[in-house]
Amino acid sequence: MRIELRDVCYGYQPERQVLRHINLCFDGNQSVAIIGQNGAGKTTLAKHLNGILRPTQGSLLIDGTDICDWTTAQWSSRVGYVFQNPDDQLFLGSVREEFSFGPRNIGMDEAAIGRRITKVAALTGLQDKLDAHPSDLSPTEKKFCGIGAVVMMNPDAVVFDEPTCGQDHAGNARLHRLIAELKHEGKMCLAISHDMKFVAANFDRVVAIRKGEVLLDSTPEDVFSQTDTLRESFVAPPPITRVAQGAGLADTVFSVDQFIEAIRNTRSK
Amino acid sequence: MKEVVQVDHFSFTYQDAKAPSLRDVSLTVREGEFLCVVGANGAGKTTLCNSLVGLIPHYFSGSSEGYVRVNGADTAHSSVADLSNYIGLVFQNPFNQLTYASGTVAEELAYGLGNRGISRDEMRRRVKLVSQLMHIEDLLDRDPLELSGGQVQRVAFGSTFIMEPNILVLDECTTQLDPLGASEIFEIVKQLNAEGVTVIMVDHDMERVVQYADTVVVMDAGRVVLSGSPKGVFALSDLGRYGIDAPEYVKLSKGLEKNGLANGDLAITYDESVAMAKKALER
Repeated sequence: MRIELRDVCYGYQPERQVLRHINLCFDGNQSVAIIGQNGAGKTTLAKHLNGILRPTQGSLLIDGTDICDWTTAQWSSRVGYVFQNPDDQLFLGSVREEFSFGPRNIGMDEAAIGRRITKVAALTGLQDKLDAHPSDLSPTEKKFCGIGAVVMMNPDAVVFDEPTCGQDHAGNARLHRLIAELKHEGKMCLAISHDMKFVAANFDRVVAIRKGEVLLDSTPEDVFSQTDTLRESFVAPPPITRVAQGAGLADTVFSVDQFIEAIRNTRSK
Repeated sequence: MKEVVQVDHFSFTYQDAKAPSLRDVSLTVREGEFLCVVGANGAGKTTLCNSLVGLIPHYFSGSSEGYVRVNGADTAHSSVADLSNYIGLVFQNPFNQLTYASGTVAEELAYGLGNRGISRDEMRRRVKLVSQLMHIEDLLDRDPLELSGGQVQRVAFGSTFIMEPNILVLDECTTQLDPLGASEIFEIVKQLNAEGVTVIMVDHDMERVVQYADTVVVMDAGRVVLSGSPKGVFALSDLGRYGIDAPEYVKLSKGLEKNGLANGDLAITYDESVAMAKKALER
């Protein structure tokens, strides 16, 4: 699938533009992180990707077709949106009902829903919680219930708003596996995040937004090497990357192994 | 030094819960200490925070054993209002912190002061001071319901700082802020700590924990399982069984040592790691 934003502008009030002439194209099973300062327009941008918001100017295309007049149901079967706060999303009496609601509304048959519940429950670690009430779940489980409810609809792209917010080590590891699995299935994953360790470890492409405009759009290696520009969007590279930069290593590294290799390369020069 | 928080064999089970959330927790915090509590989700960190400020047992009901004392006062026998004279909590979810009883951010900030009967002039002075500190001066006339997550988090901080508590409890309180915004707030907290404010902080960001903590307390399944200096705690290799990850700096130190590029010292901060990496380049 291919999502294109062409000259997209948006303002909640006409006099205050939140997005200014955004041109972006997301393709295939790319995983993309959207980073930037609070209030830069990250969530506003992400909400355009599944029709929660519609541009006040410009257009959105999926696979070349202008989709601005699609219904929300049409959008949500192609692009899923996981809210930052699961309490904004969950409203039914059990995890199973949450998981079934979306697929049933887009006409998925019951047998397929049943099969997907087994699969998605395993992915989200909620196998033993299917009959639990969402309000009885721990915050981590609730977050994965929100993710699962969206993945259940089998969309071509999933948008995550701050997925690591409040997650512990185990939650982050599960998220890593889930994103890898979606990518393996050919899905596109887009995430808004303030967690640069998570961004560097999970995404092929990083888009930095500042004041409603695209500031940087490249690989994590390239984006995190531009520290001065990043600072303008209130972002610093991940800790290990910063140490390498502080020690004067030329390579942009994200792991201990890469760090050691960079030291060896520098020493042999 | 004076012990400002004493948790003694404290256990707590929420009403209708099958298992206790805190099990026989004993912990002391000295005046001016910066103590960080880490652990997996569900380990009891938030329950501990709520117990320190008196929300347990006065707001959340359940059964408890042992006691929690703050500035010598037993929290079970002091009101939350009285305790708020010494201790302030910044919530995990800032949307739960605001009263929403106020039409503007300025009123929201002053809400606690109003309840304490502080004069109007003093309220104005402190609102001005705190809004400058938190960079929310231009939000003072806005409706709190219209703010973004990051902005609400700054207001939540402000509404706690404005009470001038001498003990601050921070429960994963910068999750909605951009990285430099979060760093800026921790620098403010560090400054307050340097001025004598005791800080008890819960956070999943281990690099931040090692940067600020005098003491690290590890919780697992409702118990305190480890306590010590950041270096002492993070030098241990089996932290994974408590569901926590070592700071990247520690992983780097161990990786350098394994590859013969360092001599076994443990760097736990950015500065120490940079120094170690520079040395490795010269070896």
